[in-house]
Amino acid sequence: MSLARYLIRRVVQVIPTFVGALFFMFILVRVLPGDPARLIAGPEALEEDVRRIRELLGLNKPLYVQFVDYMVSILRGDLGTSLKFGTPVINEILNRLPYTIALALVAESIALSVALPLGIISALRPRSKATYISSVISLTGSSVPIFWIALIFIYIFSVSLRILPSSGADSPRHIVLPSITLSLLLMGNLTRITRSAVIESLSSNHVLTALAKGLKYRVILIRHVLKNALIPIVTIMGIQIGSLLGGAIVTETVFAWPGIGSLLIDSIFYRDYPLIQGIILFIVLVFIVINIVVDVIYALIDPRIRDVLWRTS
Amino acid sequence: MGEKVLEVISLRVYYDLPQGTVRAVDDVSLDVRRREVIGIAGESGSGKSTLALAITGLLRPPAKVVSGKVLFNGVDILRLSEDELRRIRGRKIGVIFQDPNTYLNPIYTSGFQVAEVFEAHRGIHAKKYLNEVVKLFRLVKIADPERRVYAYPHQLSGGMKQRVLISMAIAERPDLIVADEPTSALDVTIQSEIMDLLAEIREETNTSIVMITHDLALLFEVADRVAIMYAGKLVELGRASDLIKDPLHPYTKALLSILRYERKKKLTSIPGSIPSLINPPPGCRFHPRCPYAFSKCSKIEPKAVNIDGRLVACHLVGGSE
Ligand SMILES: Nc1ncnc2c1ncn2[C@@H]1O[C@H](COP(=O)(O)OP(=O)(O)OP(=O)(O)O)[C@@H](O)[C@H]1O
Ligand SMILES: [Mg+2]
Repeated sequence: MSLARYLIRRVVQVIPTFVGALFFMFILVRVLPGDPARLIAGPEALEEDVRRIRELLGLNKPLYVQFVDYMVSILRGDLGTSLKFGTPVINEILNRLPYTIALALVAESIALSVALPLGIISALRPRSKATYISSVISLTGSSVPIFWIALIFIYIFSVSLRILPSSGADSPRHIVLPSITLSLLLMGNLTRITRSAVIESLSSNHVLTALAKGLKYRVILIRHVLKNALIPIVTIMGIQIGSLLGGAIVTETVFAWPGIGSLLIDSIFYRDYPLIQGIILFIVLVFIVINIVVDVIYALIDPRIRDVLWRTS
Repeated sequence: MGEKVLEVISLRVYYDLPQGTVRAVDDVSLDVRRREVIGIAGESGSGKSTLALAITGLLRPPAKVVSGKVLFNGVDILRLSEDELRRIRGRKIGVIFQDPNTYLNPIYTSGFQVAEVFEAHRGIHAKKYLNEVVKLFRLVKIADPERRVYAYPHQLSGGMKQRVLISMAIAERPDLIVADEPTSALDVTIQSEIMDLLAEIREETNTSIVMITHDLALLFEVADRVAIMYAGKLVELGRASDLIKDPLHPYTKALLSILRYERKKKLTSIPGSIPSLINPPPGCRFHPRCPYAFSKCSKIEPKAVNIDGRLVACHLVGGSE
């Protein structure tokens, strides 16, 4: 009950942020050098044709009028028509979105399935190999640029060994290289945070109480060490959504993965205003939803947060 | 008096640090009899908590037991495997820690955390034992126990949380409870309530209690015997009534005179400060602060002598050598 009220409050609160983000993006797209009307008209077009196309697209109106028009059409559920494809923007996005979701989920799963065990083991056994491996991963993950990793992967696995495809999305094998590349972007920080969260949790006084009760080691580890360590881990996962989406754009472009990241790059080259705006709107939405999900997860783990969030709603 | 529940024999516990070895508990011997409340007092850093952790088998690195025995019902718990120790902790020995705010896990209900003691020793998930926890909460005088078992620690006051920790320690009716400064994080008004509660529990459950505190006034109210520690050494041990009437060791005298001054609302402390336990002073560790010190005190370490069942380690007392 109170969860529902909390969610409604959050959604209402986020509306100004959402509109603000859209406005900022709207202006940014239009101050980019380049003119879609001229691109559509072609290099040899007359000045008169360019002007007419601009009018047709509504680009001659004042900015604020354009923005209000845009907001009105969004409220009607209409994201406009792509200049490049001539199809509804929403269709283009929905065609590409599954690819990005698949890439992000696989990358996040790979990152988690390496970072969690590695972080936990290296926290429990400070002098083990796991500690060494996790510090190597932490370092490379945060210091090597992702496109460079992508190029090295392509060189090794596609060019030299010829065991994995380097571009496209025609088979399940195509997702291997882009998802591993993207996961490396997340893995370093995730491992580091997991390790420090578990170390901190281990040394907390309530673990001593759990020991004093005579609880089994395994129970103490799961209930009183790992569950408490989840809070910082969920936090970093929320923060990493930015890296994940940004990384997806780079990764999709390098591996020609047909998600909305590569679609965004294409639409920027084409100055496809409606498409750029539609994609960014989606990205902003994803951000907002994930932030709310993270807060709800916090509240589910920690009753103190639950009291604060629920009670004030 | 009754049989010995606990016997600490020449125990040495050191902390290995990069700066050197901290001799936190250095050749301490002491015994606890059935139904007895034994108090341990001494300034901060004298090794009281280290001793408590050793008794409960909860020492963790960098602490290490260098020598000695801790016989609990005749068995040396320092030699037990982790699993044998686990079966004793919580069932035969209960522990109450100093700060109820950090010794409870914030993400579980208080009732569940107490019920875990039953889970640990009887099997079956903790949730099944909440009814028993309600009874325990009633025993430690938590009002409205049926609701409080579902309260999270942050929804309880400090005194209430300490009662939860106490109910945890007594859940399995242990033979021994070790309470390390159970009241020092609480309001003065609640301190004596908690002490009274522990005294009552002793009456009802026949358990022995090792009570650690630097609040001597509270200690002398509840303890049958009192041990005074200074810089890792046990300097005097005897019946509370004897100690308070006629302290023998100069350090005990100093502590008691502070107590009397405090009663008159004059704050004082013993001149000087507790020495480094990495390089403790030679001879008697108290000699740099002792008003009665003479040349022998800085050279030869005094042995504990037994005077009518009372142990004192001072060259001035019972010194026939
Ligand atoms: N985990 C630890 N690591 C290193 N040194 C420690 C550790 N715990 C205690 N010590 C050292 O051991 C000595 C005894 O500490 P201990 O906590 O046993 O004293 P205490 O009498 O309980 O003091 P207090 O009244 O402040 O609780 C101190 O010098 C302290 O610095
Ligand atoms: Mg202490």
